[in-house]
Amino acid sequence: MLQTENLTFHYKQQVDSFNFPNISLKAQENLLILGKSGIGKTTFLHLLAGLLTPISGEVLIDDITINSLSQSKLDVFRGQYIGLVFQKNFAVKTLSVLENLQARLFFSKKTINYEEIDKLLEQLGIKDCKKSKIYELSEGQLQRLGIALSVIHKPKVILADEPTSSLDDDNCKIVMELLIKQAKQTKANLIVITHDHRIQSFFQNSITL
Amino acid sequence: MNIWKISIQNLKSKPLYTFLSILTLSLSIALLLGIQQLKSSFRNQMDNNLGEIDLVIGAKGSPLQLVLASVLHLDNPTGNILYEEAQKLEKNPMIKSAVPISYGDNYKGFRIVGTTVKFLSLYNSELQKGRHIKKSMEVVLGNFIAEKLNLSIGDTFLSSHGLIENTIDIHNEELTVVGILKPTQKVIDRLIVTNLESFWDIHQHEEEEDHDHAEHHQDEERNKDKEITSLLLTFRNPSAILTLPRKINKQGNMQAVLPKYELDKLYEYIGIGFKVISWIAYLILVISGIAIFISLYKMVKERAFDLALLRTYGASNFQLINMVIYEGFTIVLFAFVIGFILIKTGLYFVFEIVKSDYQHSILQELSFNEVLQTVGLVCIIIILSISLAIYPIIKMNISTILSNEK
Repeated sequence: MLQTENLTFHYKQQVDSFNFPNISLKAQENLLILGKSGIGKTTFLHLLAGLLTPISGEVLIDDITINSLSQSKLDVFRGQYIGLVFQKNFAVKTLSVLENLQARLFFSKKTINYEEIDKLLEQLGIKDCKKSKIYELSEGQLQRLGIALSVIHKPKVILADEPTSSLDDDNCKIVMELLIKQAKQTKANLIVITHDHRIQSFFQNSITL
Repeated sequence: MNIWKISIQNLKSKPLYTFLSILTLSLSIALLLGIQQLKSSFRNQMDNNLGEIDLVIGAKGSPLQLVLASVLHLDNPTGNILYEEAQKLEKNPMIKSAVPISYGDNYKGFRIVGTTVKFLSLYNSELQKGRHIKKSMEVVLGNFIAEKLNLSIGDTFLSSHGLIENTIDIHNEELTVVGILKPTQKVIDRLIVTNLESFWDIHQHEEEEDHDHAEHHQDEERNKDKEITSLLLTFRNPSAILTLPRKINKQGNMQAVLPKYELDKLYEYIGIGFKVISWIAYLILVISGIAIFISLYKMVKERAFDLALLRTYGASNFQLINMVIYEGFTIVLFAFVIGFILIKTGLYFVFEIVKSDYQHSILQELSFNEVLQTVGLVCIIIILSISLAIYPIIKMNISTILSNEK
């Protein structure tokens, strides 16, 4: 369950401040947020992830007002409740695939279940790369690892920032299908922000900033 | 998985930087500890060998040479003095003990010292095996020599003339080992001790051979001619330091030297060399601190996205800072291990190069405090490097880094 109320944000260097629409998602409801570049999509996503603190308004996840949490509690909260998917740079480069997943679970204070890791990697089709270093992976494999890292700790909310903008049509479809499937499996809300209209068909709910 | 493992992986991902950091740091640790060890070993050696000797009396010449020759047994003697004149000094009430020593012969490079039994008490030396010297041509061996030359009680050997090992000028008289001394870590470990008579007998004999036709001296006259190399004095009362040397230096062909003063001066000269090497070591330490700083700072800057990613995984700032600290201290740990190995092997090779047998007797283990000092200094430099490197983490804005991913 995710809810926002009257979120506003203001960057120091800029004159205008951002006002974001209120959203309210029930359990396992997905949302697509569309918008042109510079409209504040990423800012909105970072507010939802607790990476930025709003000037005013609130973000509620599972009835927890995340902006009222202390920094250390917010770190723990983020580690346990949020899964982030990025456009590029999906994993820590000095660690292997398995080590990344282990680190992900370590920092979110979850126990490591190797069977679960294997199962997830198999579903995403990258089980063979388990021991590989990040630089050894192809773009597609990296993207799948990014998805794995965003769901392995069973978050409540998966936030994806332009996950498909550098992909061709086929891969775009594959990635979206995998993301939606994994979100469903982990019973999480999936929120995708993008300017990529190709993925509109995957969502029932969408808003435009 | 834990933070240590991530730190180790970070280090592994930049082997050259890690190698450079460990190399420079271990080098400076080895130099700092090595110099300190040599310095305190020399200091200790000088103080140790001084024993109770307050004043050295010998032939006129370089005072330092006289002290080196008579106290540390390193240099050549300045000449000889008449035993008769030396004996007169012994009667002075200010003097607690006077030990005459006479040398000029060696066996396989080890000096033979003709002296009285009081010589041993200067170094608190005791017998390990055998007995003390009772008559001429008997010797007691320092512990190191007995071990090194594998000599035991009852063995005999021929001494040769001079202080350096040679096969040209060998005396005919056999010396017999009657005792072996306990190890003392002092110069006496490397000395062969005999009595004055042995010396006079060996050399007298030769003179007689040389002057076969010359008229034989009268016994009394012979006694008058008897010479020793120097006289080691211990005062009954410290005020003698002021009066006695002046009195002796004024008259005749003898000089009186305060060994402590001469050795302090010598230590000051050597100290300049030690200081230069110490400064080089400090310089390398600073360079290594900079190398470690650059290595860590580079990681923090270039891997900003990775660090931000770890923050989205739930890592706190504190954990990221720990990661950098662990990285730094892994380098320090390795550097200390390698540094200690370097000193051990380095000093061994230094002594090997100068072909000195003195290594075991001269080299002293550093005290815990001295090691702690160097370790503390290294840690301060490293802590400084690490604190500078973690500054960007404290200032890190995850949101900005993540939105600038390209």
